[in-house]
Amino acid sequence: MLLLSRLASLRRNLFTRPRVERDLDDELHAYLDQLTEEKRAAGMGAAEARRIARIELGGLEQVKEEVRQVRTGQMLEELLQDLRYGMRTLRKNPAFTVVALLALALGIGANTAMFSVAYGILLRPLPYANADRVAVVFMRYFPRDFAFGTMCMRDYLMWKENNRAFEDPSLFTSRRMDIGGKEGAPEQVQGASVTAGFFSTLEVRPLIGRAFAAGEDQPTTGALAVIGESIWRRRFAANTGVLGQSILVNGAPATVIGVMPGVFQFPQRQTEVWTNLLLNPPTRYGPWFYRGVARLKPGVTLPQAQAELNNIGLRMMQQNSFYKRLTLPVLGLRDALLGVTLKPAILVLAGAVGLVLLIAVVNVANLMLARATVREREMALRLSLGAGRGRLVRQLLTESVLLALMGGAAGLALAWGGIALVRAWNPGNLPLIDSVRLDAGALGFMLFVSMLTGVLFGLAPALESARADLNSTIKEGGRASAASQARGRTRAALVVCEIAVSLTLLVGAGLLLRSFANLQRVTGGFSAPPRQILTMLISPGDRKYKDARAGLAFYDEVLRRARNVPGVETAAVTDSLPPDRQGDADTFAIEGQPLAPGEINPIISDVTVSPDFFQTLGIPLIKGRYFTAHDTQDLAPVAIVSEGFVRRFLPNQDALGKRIRQSGPGFGNNWMQIVGVVGNVKYLGLTVDTDPAYYMPLAQSYGLRLYLAVRCSGDAARLADTLRRKIQSIDPGVTLAQIGAMDQSLAWSVSQPRFDTMLLSLFAGIALLLAAVGIYGLIAYSVAQRTHEIGVRMALGAARADVVRMVVRQGASLAALGIVLGLGGAFALTRLLKTLLFGIGATDALTFAAAPVGSMLVVLLATFVPALRATRISPVVALRYE
Amino acid sequence: MPATNLLQGTLDLLILKALALTEMHGLAISHRIAQITNGTFRVKPGSLFPALHRMEEAGWLASAWGDSENNRRAKYYRLTAAGRRQLQAETRQWETIAVAMASALRAN
Repeated sequence: MLLLSRLASLRRNLFTRPRVERDLDDELHAYLDQLTEEKRAAGMGAAEARRIARIELGGLEQVKEEVRQVRTGQMLEELLQDLRYGMRTLRKNPAFTVVALLALALGIGANTAMFSVAYGILLRPLPYANADRVAVVFMRYFPRDFAFGTMCMRDYLMWKENNRAFEDPSLFTSRRMDIGGKEGAPEQVQGASVTAGFFSTLEVRPLIGRAFAAGEDQPTTGALAVIGESIWRRRFAANTGVLGQSILVNGAPATVIGVMPGVFQFPQRQTEVWTNLLLNPPTRYGPWFYRGVARLKPGVTLPQAQAELNNIGLRMMQQNSFYKRLTLPVLGLRDALLGVTLKPAILVLAGAVGLVLLIAVVNVANLMLARATVREREMALRLSLGAGRGRLVRQLLTESVLLALMGGAAGLALAWGGIALVRAWNPGNLPLIDSVRLDAGALGFMLFVSMLTGVLFGLAPALESARADLNSTIKEGGRASAASQARGRTRAALVVCEIAVSLTLLVGAGLLLRSFANLQRVTGGFSAPPRQILTMLISPGDRKYKDARAGLAFYDEVLRRARNVPGVETAAVTDSLPPDRQGDADTFAIEGQPLAPGEINPIISDVTVSPDFFQTLGIPLIKGRYFTAHDTQDLAPVAIVSEGFVRRFLPNQDALGKRIRQSGPGFGNNWMQIVGVVGNVKYLGLTVDTDPAYYMPLAQSYGLRLYLAVRCSGDAARLADTLRRKIQSIDPGVTLAQIGAMDQSLAWSVSQPRFDTMLLSLFAGIALLLAAVGIYGLIAYSVAQRTHEIGVRMALGAARADVVRMVVRQGASLAALGIVLGLGGAFALTRLLKTLLFGIGATDALTFAAAPVGSMLVVLLATFVPALRATRISPVVALRYE
Repeated sequence: MPATNLLQGTLDLLILKALALTEMHGLAISHRIAQITNGTFRVKPGSLFPALHRMEEAGWLASAWGDSENNRRAKYYRLTAAGRRQLQAETRQWETIAVAMASALRAN
């Protein structure tokens, strides 16, 4: 009942306010009339009665205000009033509003997006149960010397035998697989061979069917396959009948036993088929194809497991003199998925974007302070007209929060768009990109920070002016009061900070840009224009072409057809391609060059190529000859070595005529005569600088899956479809994959550095822009404040140039201070970039010289505009002002 | 006792008491209060009207426009059922306090 009465009042007060007000007015006037009547009845004159009645009433408006104060919903009403007033103030100062909103939106948007990316990649739980207990085990040893390399079956058995730290170690390897041929057209997919414990280690449940059961990696087991959700939908129309069906994997039948959900993306994001790896007792060491994956036993930590693996590594070396400096590095599952360079890059970017937010916040604070000074007089006037101080403060607070919320909304839109873009495009080729989504926590935090800024820097000066001496403030009429002078100093300090922080970011971006430019200058070792080279991975199918003779005939036909396509200049096949598709690698021996006992040459790229490979890519011949069609199976084995090979292994000798052989375990005594020396080519990525290699002719070293490389007279991508059709028509069992022009491969191989560079440059650009706006605002404001003074100076004979110099000097001195501080900050922080840099140091002199110059130029430009405006001040007007 | 310095609770109780017998307009209420307190409390409009509006919104009073004794329009207030209950409750409370205060002040 009473509650209903309250609600009725609330409704009345909020929605029929004019009537409520009229009613109150009528009531009070009626009271006044009655009172006047009474006085007259008591014998007063009409005018006197009215006057006394008014005095007794004590001010009509004051009584009304008292009544309003007790109304239900008064707070809400005032809030709405404040909001309306706030919106009006924001609309009336479009420059202030736009700049503040832009700063907040950029700061909040960029941060929310970046932190969502960082959270998704670094922190969001993986879609595997208890993934933090799963570790991946690698092997590093000389002569191979890959930091996170692979092991062979014998190593795995030895690890398993001596293992205490993990539950049931599993083994896996990624490989390309040809699927189909019996049902539907064959296609090449990414696959993996895994031991029986693989799925249970990762605690992943199939969508339908089952995963491998214990013992299904024993040699007597038949071939089984677990397929991914994507291929199940694509090839089998999501039919549950696929279970128990026999499919062809690399030409051999395998029974499908289960389907994995799409979120399961291990070992690779694209992996779609898992077959059971059979643990046939190895007769020798090699091949080194495998990595281990295992779950830590309860209570065992990763360092403890590493210690145990170190011991096992020592034993492996004792048993096999081939291994030198062997270790078994172990990484948590997430770190293994991310790789070693991504985490520092993401952390650097997250730190950088945090600095952008800092600058944005400082900018808003600066704007707020400037506005507080402008509004000093308004506040004083309102106070003297009877506004409550609390009410004023509340209103300023409402304005700040309003601004922050609007900025936050714009930032949210920006973040949402940014994340959608990153997810769809994945420009950095980031792993775990599917776990990146707009993070509410990050957005909330950013919003909180920006609101806090608005409140602190909007409120503090407001409170101060609320306390100020009203008389002097109004009389001064907006000329510098003591409080506003203090604020001026605060603003100058804030601008110095902005410049310093933006310069730090600028230096960081400069370093990454220089590093990326270095990366772009790396050619990969071939001179053919990348846009004119088309490459694709061909798999003729295991059944027919396992035999070298049939296979060689097939590839001869491929090359013949390719060369006949109009626009194709030369064509070749190879098992390796620059910049980062290494095929085989092995150690080797040089005839007549005995190694010290126990010594061994490193494992380097051994590349199998058809005769025209070097001409096709434009790899220069230094000495001797290229391979020809005469280097066949029946003739003496020949090899070509790279320049780097000669420099390292045959220094100061004539390489031609020397004989080498593959010398890893399992190779025979097959000496190859060196017939040529060619330029260095990169097969391990553009950033690897020493990559010696030796080449063997295809006819003497056949491999089943090969890359076709075609050099075209024009844009290579246009020929892709024609070539695909020509090659597939040779045999319907042929599958083609990874079709694309070389320029794409090159771009793809540096996608992550490009992503880092792009983002950091973007952040630095925003920071510089915000800093420029900050200093522009400061100087423009100060010019406006000094109109009078400048007018006097000009009246006394100062030239325009003097005025410009005076104003610019003010900006330049702030900038200089900011730049000194910023260089210090950059010096301290850019070392975090060290691991991301290629070809330059973290204290690159050019960057450290250029960034301050650029920063100074932008600042001077920003001060020049208000400086010019100052010269247009007319002394007459300025002196008459006020 | 200074007439302006009325405790809010006291003013509420006086208004409820003033309206106990019949409905009244604002001026009549302030006269009635002066009368029943023998001129001790003189309620000013700046206190009276906020109190009336507050009590109306609380549901203790209801108001309606009517004609005054000398044929002028005036807003009349009357007690609601809730207002009557409130009057009883506050009266009891006040009596308890008054007895307690009197006894406290008489004590040595």
